[in-house]
Amino acid sequence: MSFLGRSGPPSGSVNPERVEMAMQELDMITDVFNRLVSSCHNKCVSARYAEGDLSKGESVCIDRCVSKFFEVNKKVGEKLQSMGAGQSGGSQSAFGSL
Amino acid sequence: MSANPLLTPIFPAGKEPLPPGVTEEERDAYLQGKKYQEYMAMGAESCVAKTMLAGGMGFGIGAFFSLMSASFAYEDPLLRQTTGNLSRTQKASEIFKDMGKGMWRSGKGFGKVGALFAGIECVIESYRAKNDIVNPVVAGFLAGGVLARNAGPKAAFGGGIAFAAFSAAIDLFMKHESSDED
Repeated sequence: MSFLGRSGPPSGSVNPERVEMAMQELDMITDVFNRLVSSCHNKCVSARYAEGDLSKGESVCIDRCVSKFFEVNKKVGEKLQSMGAGQSGGSQSAFGSL
Repeated sequence: MSANPLLTPIFPAGKEPLPPGVTEEERDAYLQGKKYQEYMAMGAESCVAKTMLAGGMGFGIGAFFSLMSASFAYEDPLLRQTTGNLSRTQKASEIFKDMGKGMWRSGKGFGKVGALFAGIECVIESYRAKNDIVNPVVAGFLAGGVLARNAGPKAAFGGGIAFAAFSAAIDLFMKHESSDED
């Protein structure tokens, strides 16, 4: 978001619409990240443990959980788009691009 | 968005903050170094590395026990007859050679046990992606069975059960969480 000198706003420098879209996309990515961390933590890390390091089983589980989460995301996004969500699907297709 | 731990730390690509003491010019070298460090950590947690580490530790423990028991070994009178004419240094070197052979043998045995158990447990844990008591029990059963395979099926089964019980006990002891009110 750098201003190009003092020659007024040339095209694409500070476009409020793009800024708004970027903010929305950032919010969505943050939401996906938080959900991912929360759900994979609940699935893979048991309630009783004696050390802070991830054991081998837990790290394998987290790897699988993350890729499965993104696969599910992708599939659901494809189905949503094929259902013809149209314009409103434009901003949600950010999920499909992950 | 300033360092709130519940928010995702998102920065523009290539502009992530560097730790203090690393300048901008060293960014590439720092990232390279971090990548190699991650590879090393991944390698150290792999099943092969764990097996080799357990085998090495088993070898060390076996050699140490054999060394300790050699100091309590009483002398063999038949051996004294056959080697009675050697000089002092030759007798000493004979004794040390026997000690070394015993240490090697005992170390190999313990090393095999440790490597077998650790390897099987790591493979089972990677497959199941869970960390509970089942992994060491099954690994102990299989390792005990493999070690006793030459003594017949019943002995192999019994050895497997015994080793499984032993490894379950050790694992429960290691994972026992001490109470928070110490």
